[in-house]
Order: sequence, then structure tokens, then C-alpha cells
Amino acid sequence: MLDIAGISKNFGGSQVLNDVSLHLRAGDRLGLTGSNGSGKSTLVNIVTGYIEADAGRVTLDTVDLTNRPAWKIARAGIRRSFQSARMLQSATMRHQFRVEMNTTTQGLAAIDAAGLSPYLDHFPSEVPLPILRKAEVVRALVTEPKVLFLDEPSAGFTSEELIEFADFLNAHLSRSTALVLVEHRIDLMRRVATGIKQIGSARSLEDLEFEHA
Amino acid sequence: MDFVQTNIDGLLAGSAYALLALGFSLVFGIMRQINLAYGSSLLVGAALAVWLEPILGLGVVGLFLLTVVACVLAGLYVERLCFAPNRGKTGATVPMIASFAIWMQLDEVSSHLLPSRTHNFPGLEIPPMFFGDLYLRGDQIVQFVVAFTSIAALYYLIYKTRFGLLLRATAGNAETAFLLGAPTGRLRLMTFLLAGLLGGISTFLILSADGQVTPLFGLWSTFKGLIAMMIGGVGSLPGAVIGGLLLGLIEAHSSTQFGAEYRDITTFGILFLILIIRPGGIMGVSAYRTGRLAQERI
Amino acid sequence: MSVYVASILTNMALISFLALSAYLVLVVGVVSFGQQAFFGVGAYVTATVTSIYGGHAVTGVFIGMLSGAACALVLAILTVRLSGLYFAISTLCFAELCRLGLLQVRAPFDIDGRTTGPDGPEGFSNIRWIFEHNYSVQDFLVLTTVCLVALLGLLFLLERSRIMLRARLVGQDSILAQSLGLRPILYRIVFVTLSGGVAGFGGGLFALFNTYIEPNMFGVMLGVHGLAYAVIGGLGAPIGPLIGVAIDIGLLESIRAISAYRMIAFGGLVALLLILLPQGLISPRFVERMRRWRKLFHA
Repeated sequence: MLDIAGISKNFGGSQVLNDVSLHLRAGDRLGLTGSNGSGKSTLVNIVTGYIEADAGRVTLDTVDLTNRPAWKIARAGIRRSFQSARMLQSATMRHQFRVEMNTTTQGLAAIDAAGLSPYLDHFPSEVPLPILRKAEVVRALVTEPKVLFLDEPSAGFTSEELIEFADFLNAHLSRSTALVLVEHRIDLMRRVATGIKQIGSARSLEDLEFEHA
Repeated sequence: MDFVQTNIDGLLAGSAYALLALGFSLVFGIMRQINLAYGSSLLVGAALAVWLEPILGLGVVGLFLLTVVACVLAGLYVERLCFAPNRGKTGATVPMIASFAIWMQLDEVSSHLLPSRTHNFPGLEIPPMFFGDLYLRGDQIVQFVVAFTSIAALYYLIYKTRFGLLLRATAGNAETAFLLGAPTGRLRLMTFLLAGLLGGISTFLILSADGQVTPLFGLWSTFKGLIAMMIGGVGSLPGAVIGGLLLGLIEAHSSTQFGAEYRDITTFGILFLILIIRPGGIMGVSAYRTGRLAQERI
Repeated sequence: MSVYVASILTNMALISFLALSAYLVLVVGVVSFGQQAFFGVGAYVTATVTSIYGGHAVTGVFIGMLSGAACALVLAILTVRLSGLYFAISTLCFAELCRLGLLQVRAPFDIDGRTTGPDGPEGFSNIRWIFEHNYSVQDFLVLTTVCLVALLGLLFLLERSRIMLRARLVGQDSILAQSLGLRPILYRIVFVTLSGGVAGFGGGLFALFNTYIEPNMFGVMLGVHGLAYAVIGGLGAPIGPLIGVAIDIGLLESIRAISAYRMIAFGGLVALLLILLPQGLISPRFVERMRRWRKLFHA
């Protein structure tokens, strides 16, 4: 479904990504890890259209999405969250979901399951972080994306919140959506991912052995 | 010979534009901010100087010093009110908006200090020079020499001193510089003072060559500085100098070819074309919408 | 109501169109220093239609509005690739080119023994429609107010739509907007064009009211004033820019001690206000809070 081939990126002399390749099928749950500054976010930014790759291709179901604008990639069915839980700060939570489509019953159920119902008339700055992160996920899921990239969603979570978030993901991710979970925290990845890759010192992807919980 | 004369006129005028453009470019290059109150702060400086000079009776040199000091102080006022409190969280737009509010304010202050349509601004009284067929206005030559001395001094400051090193390190990435220990608040203040200094010198040179100061000088200098900066490439110091000189040349040639009436249309027309075709200007600064995203932390 | 008061109120209403046009551009997250050009184009076109071609004021203003929108569309399309600052400077450039261009247009006509038509720096005189149709100043105030209220109504409806929500998202967080599939440049083009129409409409009314227009009335400072009203009033709702106008022309002008130093006071006020309330008085957050309050109140 999503084919990433030979992605390379050099930032002002520093080779951040080197010949990164990845193949995702529907329903895959991939964890992506690596040390700080290893280029995980850069890869996500490249695939979702915010940074241009120096080389390589990104293909979704035979459609070439390499270096296309971010909005086009989003419409093609690749969605993402951001490290800082981006929301429209001047609108209440209710409106965050109005931006894209009418909320389906499935969507409403997910909003409720995320614990958002008491916060629908609150501003994002008034909502607790774990709920905000779930809201980000729900916002992406109501569009039934083909691929979902989550960029370090557990930053700031306690261990309990992390487990709860993992349960939430497992309950609401559809079987057809592929997930790429960029994370440091192994406990989240063990609960959600079925495989983990790491960006190593060679700046390409290496498989990691792990046990799914 | 006509061609050479036009070029000389253009370059002489352009040296003053270069200083104005440097004022804008310094603030944008280092702080990523546009100070729209720059032109009218220079006007206020000139107005204050003209207003005070008869009271203090210091003569032309005194007027020069007064002008420079007043322009620097006006720049300080703008920095404190518009740029110091609004850093970071609200992005670059809010300080720029505040600065054009102050543009309106300082324009009116100036028209209260100088109520008539035009006020006398004592010139340097230097006789013109002749080289064969070429005619060179004495005060414009002084303008050129002073301008380039200032530019040379600035070059030394920016590229050969530790202070300049701090400025360059901060340039475009104030947040990182701050985290690395650079005193960005003070650096921003110094940048504005430098811009005020250069602007004050330029203001004195332009007004004394012109022999008068009018309330339109604020808008005029804003336009000249912005246009010269854009031609050369926003935020680039060498670009500002090149842009200023080029602007002078463009104006001189279009005056000769099309008459003074069409001079401004030519200038704006060329700038508009540059913006559409190569907004990065001569130095090719990155200008397109997608370029910035790579720098933001998302 | 005295002619003096009616005059002031009409001027306030007319400049509100300009302020609203600046507001529409600010909402999508860009700054335009060129709205006065669309205002001026609307003025000249309306004057031409009514004075030279004997058209009705409604036709004139309508065509003026379309002209303003067309100019804005041209500018928006030419500048598609430009980012914030470059876009702002290009609007300034464009506006000055329009003004300088108008200074060169000389096409005087003799109608009913009077000279009218654009005459470069001499201006366009004898825009006599309101005299010919016996509109007093007070009558024109009513007309202008009705138009302004109608525009506010339309904008109010627009506010509740998804288009506005998306436009605001594009303006406040373009990166987020793109991740949701929104194409920022489209919103910029649409809203700049709309703003041109609003400014053109106001300009048309202005020409009729003033009966005389000349290119230097539509200089940069006019646009800067419009921007300042939108900014201080706030971007949360269309009433914001009107409040900005009211503060300057209404409040400050009426306080005799200040009125001679109005721009000094107003400029300082805007700069100070932006320190405390960067999004203006009627900010989007404020509006949302009001809505929330009203909801709780009703529940």
C-alpha cells in the first residue's frame, strides 16, 4: 500500500537519512524508533509533505506522492499527528472536528471514548494532554485514512496514561489503516506495534527484535 | 557622456538609498522583523533636529550630530514599544503591525514639529566639481564618501568583531541563539540602534543635499529603503548595498529616458516584476511559501 | 440630525468598508497594504459609470465592487507563490502602481456644461448623482448604513460556515490546516478577492458621497489606517473593525483635547493594545468565549 523507497536527506552537510526504505500494508502496526535527532520526525515530515527529500520515492497504491504538497498528501489518505498536539487554539474542541467532515456515529462514539464529551465547549488549552492526544487521533480517524503517522504521541504521559492510550489505539484503529508509531517509549510500542524498526547510525532502517505485549 | 553622467548621478543617489536599505536589512536579517516605523522615525529625528537646532545654535556639524542622535533615540522608542514586548509567541506579524501604528503616530508628531509644507534644512555648501563634461554635485560626493565609509565601518563591525559574530549567529535563528546564551534582547536593541545610526547619517546626507525637509520624507524613505532592500534580497547586507545602488541607477536612467514623471512608476513596476519573477532579489534569498516549513519545528 | 454629524457618521461607515476588507485578508493570515487600491478603483469605476455613462448609482457601485474584486483577483493570482512578507510588499507595490497609473489617466468629459471625468492629479470632479437625485447627506447616511448592515449580515452568515472555520485555521496554523487537507493558497485567493469586492463597494459609495475624487486620496496611509482599525478592533468578528473605526473617528475625534493629536493617540493606543491583546479587542477567542457564555446562560 505505502511504498517508501530510498529516501535520503541531507541538512546542511549532515546526512540525516540515507536510503530509507519501507513497505506498509493495510493493517500494519509499525513502531519507529531511534535516538534523539536520529531523523524519525524528518522521515515523517518527508512522507507527509513538509520537507523535500533529496532522493527516493514515496508511493501510495501506485500514486506517486514524492515531494508533493502536504495538503495533497493528506487528501490522498495519509494523516499525521504532531509532536505538539496542534489544534485551532481560538476555537472550542467541538469545532476541531467540524473542519473536515460531519461527525459520523462512529466518530461520535470515538469522541466519547476519548473522554472528550465534557470538554467539547472548552478550548484546547483547557483540555488535559492525554485527551488532547486522543482527540488528534480521532480527528485523523474520522477520515478513515489509509496511513496514520503518530509523531511521539506519548510525550508527557504518565505510565498509566500511556497504557490507556495504547488501549484506546488498539480499540479504535480500523483494520484497514496502517499505523506508523514514532516513539521512544517501548511500553507503548510493545502494546500497539507488531514490528519495530530503528534508524541506526547508517541512517537507514534496521529491524529490531521485540516482543508484542 | 550623457550615459556616464546618468550613471554617476544614479550611484551618488544610490549610496544614500543603500544606507536606508541597510537599516531595514539589519533588522530583518538579524531579527526577522520588518520595522515599518523606520522611515517615520528618521523623519521625526530630522524634525527634532531642525526644531532644536536654532535653539541650541550649533551650526551644521551640530545639526548632523543632533539628527543622528535623534534618529537613534526614535529607533529606540520603536524598539521598546513594538519589538521588545512582542517577541516569540505572536510571531513576526504582530510587531510589524504595531510598527505601522507607530508609523502613523510619528508621522503626526513630525507634522506638529514642522507645521509648514517644507522646512529649510541647511546644506553643506560645497561647490560642484567638473571633470570635463561631467558635472558632480559637491554635497552628493560627500554623501557618497560618507555613506561608503559608514558601510565599510559596518562591514568591519559585522565581520571582524565579536559583537558582529554574535549578531550573525543570531541572524534568522534568534531562538537557538538565545538557548546558546546569546543576549538576544540586548542584541536586538543594538541592531535597532545601529539601524538608527545608519539611518540618521543617511537622513542628514539626503536632506542637506535636498536643502529641505518635508513631511513626506517618512513615506519616501520607507519606500526607498524597502524597495532597495527587496531588489537586493531581503535581509542580506551586501544585497542592501547593491539594491540601493541599483535603485539609484534605475531612477536616474528612467528619469533620463522617460522623464521625472514616470520615475516612480518605473521603480514600482520593476520591483513588482522582481517580486513575481525572482522575489529573492539579486542575492537570491529564499522567498517561496514552501521554503520556510523546513525550518519550523513541527 | 445635523449635516455635520451625518457627515461624520457617513465617513465612518465608508471607511468601515475598507477596514472590513483589511479584516478579510487578515483572517486568512496575511497582511495587505494594498486595500486602498481596490477602494480607489471602485471609486473611479463608480464615478465613471454614473457621471460619464449616466448609470444609476446602484449599477455604478455594483460594477465598482466587481472591479475591485477583479483587481484583487489579478493581484492574488500573480502573487500565488509569495510568502507572507513578500506578499505584503507586493500589495504595497501594486497599490502604488494603481495610484501612479491613475495619476496618468486624463480623459475629461464635458457633461451638461460641467467638466467631469478622470483628469490625472486634478482628479475626477462633478460626480453629481446624489445632487441630481436629491439625496441629502442624511439620506445618503441611511443608504450607506443599510449597505453596511447588509454586508455585516452576509459576513455574519459566512462566520458560521465551514469555509470561515477553515479560513481561520489557514490563517492561524497553516501547517495544521495542510495536514487536514486544506490548501492555503486557495483560501488566500478567495478571501483577497472578496476583500477587493468589499473595498470596491465602499469606494463606489465614497465617490458618490464626496462628489470629487483624486488618486492621492488612495495612498498607502489610507490602507494603513484600515489595517489599524481591523487590528485594534480584533479579528474575531466583523464588528471588530467597526469598533476600531469608532475608537478613532468616533471617540478620539470627539475628545477635543485629543483630536488635534488623534494619530499620535491612536497609533500609541494600537501599539500598546497589541502588547496586551495581540489579537485585538474582539479576538477569535473572545468571541468563542462569548458564545460559550451565551450557551451556558440558555441551558
